[in-house]
Amino acid sequence: MSAPRVRRTAALFLAGSLALTACSGGNTGAQSESDDDTGQSTGGTLVIDTAFSLETGDPGRNYVPTGSTVLHPLYETLLTFEGDDESEPVPGLATMEVNDDATEFTFTLEEDRVFSDGSAIDADDVVFSFERLQGMESSKANHLVVGIEIEKVDDMTVRITTEEPYLQLPAIVTNPALSILNSEAVEENGGTTDDSDEAEEFLNGTSVGSGPYQLETFDLTSQVVLVPNDEYNGDQPAQFERVVIRNVSEAATQLTNLRGGDSHLALDLSGDQVAELGEDFDITAGPGAQTIFLLVNQDEGVFGDLANPSFAEAVRYALDYDSILELAGDGAAQATGVIPPMFLGAPEEGVEQDLDRAAEALEESGYDGETLTLRFPNDQPIGGVDFTTLAERIQSQLAEAEINVDLAPAPFASEIDPYVEGTADFAMWYWGPDFADSSSFLPFGPDETVGTRSGWTADDAPDIADLVTEARTATDLDEREQAFTDYATAMQEEGPFVPLLVPARSFASSGVDGVTYNSNWTIDIAELSPAD
Amino acid sequence: MPTATKAARSRSTGSALPRYLLRRLGTSIVLLFGVTLVTFVLTALVPGDPIAAALGEGAIQNEATVEAYRERYGMDRSLPERYLLYLLALVQGDLGTSIRTSRPVLEELSTALPATVEVAFAAIVVSLAVALVLGTIAACRAGKVSDQVVRVVSLVGLSVPTFWLAIMVYRLFFMQLGWAPGSGRLSPALNPPPRITGLYLVDFALDGDPVGFIDAAAHLVLPVVVLSLFTIGLLTRFIRSSVLEVLSTDYVRAARAKGLSSRRVIVGYLLRGASLPILTMVGVAFGALLSGTVLVEAVFAWPGLGTYAYYAAINLDLPAVMGVGLVVGVIYVVINLVVDLLYGVLDPRVRLG
Repeated sequence: MSAPRVRRTAALFLAGSLALTACSGGNTGAQSESDDDTGQSTGGTLVIDTAFSLETGDPGRNYVPTGSTVLHPLYETLLTFEGDDESEPVPGLATMEVNDDATEFTFTLEEDRVFSDGSAIDADDVVFSFERLQGMESSKANHLVVGIEIEKVDDMTVRITTEEPYLQLPAIVTNPALSILNSEAVEENGGTTDDSDEAEEFLNGTSVGSGPYQLETFDLTSQVVLVPNDEYNGDQPAQFERVVIRNVSEAATQLTNLRGGDSHLALDLSGDQVAELGEDFDITAGPGAQTIFLLVNQDEGVFGDLANPSFAEAVRYALDYDSILELAGDGAAQATGVIPPMFLGAPEEGVEQDLDRAAEALEESGYDGETLTLRFPNDQPIGGVDFTTLAERIQSQLAEAEINVDLAPAPFASEIDPYVEGTADFAMWYWGPDFADSSSFLPFGPDETVGTRSGWTADDAPDIADLVTEARTATDLDEREQAFTDYATAMQEEGPFVPLLVPARSFASSGVDGVTYNSNWTIDIAELSPAD
Repeated sequence: MPTATKAARSRSTGSALPRYLLRRLGTSIVLLFGVTLVTFVLTALVPGDPIAAALGEGAIQNEATVEAYRERYGMDRSLPERYLLYLLALVQGDLGTSIRTSRPVLEELSTALPATVEVAFAAIVVSLAVALVLGTIAACRAGKVSDQVVRVVSLVGLSVPTFWLAIMVYRLFFMQLGWAPGSGRLSPALNPPPRITGLYLVDFALDGDPVGFIDAAAHLVLPVVVLSLFTIGLLTRFIRSSVLEVLSTDYVRAARAKGLSSRRVIVGYLLRGASLPILTMVGVAFGALLSGTVLVEAVFAWPGLGTYAYYAAINLDLPAVMGVGLVVGVIYVVINLVVDLLYGVLDPRVRLG
């Protein structure tokens, strides 16, 4: 091609591109807005960076943290929590009364509340939302509603009944999986109350709740955009014109985005990264709701002669918890028991290192110097705590107590198998609550989920098994608190677990008020507002 | 050349190309079948239960959910049965359903792939342009200072860890200097273009959205720079050695002896003579860019194929892992085919039939 022809072609291409881009376009009007929205939020766009664990926009099928963060401002639940106070649920869409046996829970809906299409919320919507989840056996959240029955009492009242006393129900109904959906809209789009439900695709593109925001766009891999629900008539209206929740998997990028003014809130920073930030940023750091612990299997078929409480006791008192805590950064706390500090019944004081007691227990345990293998998942840091680093410190501390340990890290996806099947002899794992209630930590008990994984039966510890039943079926709040305290204390004395630490949840923000951690939805976007 | 001979050659070439393409299609299908088999066997060998990994702590306590998941994703069937069902679905264009998201893998890949294609294509164009200049200069001035400088620069490009470079470049140009936009494909205040190709630049242009077009182009700059540095290093060294070989050939010496201008010798003789090996290397580099951007995508929060593959792998999402394996296989098959076809265009001596 000759030079003039090349120039002509290039000119034509350039002119064509300019002509195309000069036409009216989708973002032409957005430029001025975007200019205003970088840096301090002004009630315009709020940008939140987090590493997505997003799987669906359907509340009934969601059971992952990012999903709960995204869905909570779109949908309301019967009861809810305010800020970081998870001690007692407060009214959401309804108020609750419970009978003396704690087996009947009556919810009365708030009058005149409406969904995002303006239609009124009534008891049929509540019954549909619960029965839909009960019918979807393939939903990860299905286990939340196993063993409960729901019925409509009148247009504004529903009753949930259980066979056993069930004081954990108020906490369960705060879970975003039990959001109240607009039944008419969902049914029109494939929703049913059995496993043939096909409304997920619809709900991935449209929100049909009554929360202060509604869904604008939903992309599982890049970002979710929320805009105000114009029909919202509750008491906490949207404070931002637009909320963008972005998938930024690298914590270092989250930090850079925040410092560079590209985002207002970063959710996955480690304690060390938070410490890097200066005074221009607001830091929210405190213990999360997940406990990292060591498991000492009590099944002789799995752990041989060391399957005994004495070996667990030796490990428990051999460790220097202050030194372990140093690895977790600001905001983390020692695990004082299997129940984390924010929940009812958590012991106030944790175990302190006592090498004499450890040596005594080690002798009783029958340990004769063999090298043990500590198994743990190494690809999912919890609250910025790297499991390999933590395991190395434990290894060196146990070596001082003359317990020899090799480390066996493996990806979560392959390591979960032996853990769940109960074939892991000596392992490090973590546990978080299914809902914000201490009963979420009863699975550590003998013959319970985690207890069974560690080969620990009710015959091994009948007293603790009784305490589990007592805590689970208490009908009185004071009784319940005492039962949980007794359970957690007994677990520290005789259990096959060594609670290590509760990693921090550290958030850093700029120009945003209302940032607090809640184990149900991580942060409550509905409570966020531009800084004063 | 007599007209009759020309026509015969044309007829011969005309029938050879379709035959060649058919043959390549056949071998490609066999190759891709092999890719599915190897990927399937490898994913089946990975220790771990995909259902346990997908359900997590809470849901795995619910037997009804575990059973529903096993049935839904065919995990209650034998391995050969699962593979056969996978192949049957595959020939109908169904890559299965992601265990993690319950969405069709094909739909998810069709979103992730264009994001990677956009950044990888830009990177290979930039890399080739820069490497052609640097490699040719280095070869023509072999042993001189400029050659030494180019060789050091290309060595640095090859040696610097891409992940580290991405973090440093991002901190410097976005956070410190403010010259580049933040992470992702678009600024948070802007809406993505209506989906036509999935390539933001193309879709914004087709939608007539100059603001979106400029913003998307600006977001491409840093990922492209980071990805290009390694590829520039690789291609520059290769081009230098290829051109050096051609430099000592008789026809280049003859061209110089005839008094042709340097520009004409370089473009018409040197680069043309070295084009076949360079083309091969460009194909390999482009394939590597398309399938190996996971770290750069992580730093720039780029929702591409690498990010998708990462999430699929850590969640043991077998249908998604299979889908990624197949797409990467297709990428290499297509690139190799294009490279082979271009051989015939660049060098008439190469006859595809």
